Amino acid sequence: MFGPRIIGDDGVELRTPSLEDYGLFAKWQLEPAVTRFWGPRLQDEPPSGAEERMKKDGESKTSLLWTIAHADETVGFTGIFGIDWVRRDGETGIFIGRHDLYGRGIASETVRLRMAYIWNELDLHRTHNWIALPNQGSWRANKKSGYAQVGTYPRVGFRSGEWIDEWLGEAFPHTFPKDRTPPPWR
Amino acid sequence: MALGGIIRGKRTTLRTPTEDDLGGYARWMADMRVRALVRPWHEPAMPATWKERLGEQTKEKNGALWSIEAEARLVGLVRVGFGSEPHRDSAHIHDFIVDPDEWRKGYGFDAVLALHRYLFDYLDLRRASVSLTVENAGARRIADRLGYTEFAHKHEVHFRDGAYVDELELLMERPVWDERWGKTEREYQPLGSGGPGSVDPKGDV
Repeated sequence: MFGPRIIGDDGVELRTPSLEDYGLFAKWQLEPAVTRFWGPRLQDEPPSGAEERMKKDGESKTSLLWTIAHADETVGFTGIFGIDWVRRDGETGIFIGRHDLYGRGIASETVRLRMAYIWNELDLHRTHNWIALPNQGSWRANKKSGYAQVGTYPRVGFRSGEWIDEWLGEAFPHTFPKDRTPPPWR
Repeated sequence: MALGGIIRGKRTTLRTPTEDDLGGYARWMADMRVRALVRPWHEPAMPATWKERLGEQTKEKNGALWSIEAEARLVGLVRVGFGSEPHRDSAHIHDFIVDPDEWRKGYGFDAVLALHRYLFDYLDLRRASVSLTVENAGARRIADRLGYTEFAHKHEVHFRDGAYVDELELLMERPVWDERWGKTEREYQPLGSGGPGSVDPKGDV
């Protein structure tokens, strides 16, 4: 599934992805500046694969994906993946592909909009995530919208001669700060 | 990898699953004693669907499935994931199910010890991990005895009997295996020891 348009503050909005967005997502995930705490920076599909991947994502019943836009430009993606509709649980994630925009609060606003939608429209019970511990910007953004740390997974990834731990977090509807609820749910 | 080969324990054998095992798999997934403790690998379904699922498992690139046998009968299954490239150096036990009618006979620990011997002594992995609900006391005892330690306590994850129950994340590192089991649990005798499968200095096997 793809998510609907949700307009937030400071020029941030979540949008239904376009095929052009998918081209950007693939390109960004190969760039060193934005993948320090991401995947192996390897391409596993041909350039024409974006359309097939978008079709697959759109048809999925266990994931929901948005494009993140800032000042009307596509800057990343976010969503919830591996939704278990019996346990009503899913794993959330966020990727900002524009390192020149780091530190401007885009991630915090994105997480706020995403979690408000999840709690108010999907009726989930719980969400969780695994974030590289040194990626403070990401887990801090999640904490502002109700995530709390439940553990540390030691030595999960390896980058530039260092082992990296992961921050394990979880959130529930009741941990979302009511005063941060965006419209139309406020 | 997809389907696992033979791993011998003292009382159990992990072996390649066959279509004959699917009736047992289907019965366990429909057993409320199992479902109270673990998320089923698959939901109950017609026999043809189980055959398709086994077919899909044979195409799995990041994990393997074994049937567990004891006293010449099927008593369980175990499904393990091996991470993804380029760090295929760990294992996560996704499913480990012993037939509820065979519980408390020691098959679980014997099978898991043999599996971990394969993971550490044969595949040379760095670590293994597993998720358990806090109510799965039998599995927790096995994990503790083996050398697993808890690194996360997740709240209200598993839903059963009208309520949620917490789930733990556990980890076993290679040095723990080496210290606790490495001297006694080996896939093969050291080369040159004269034991089965070893090579003597004259070159005879």
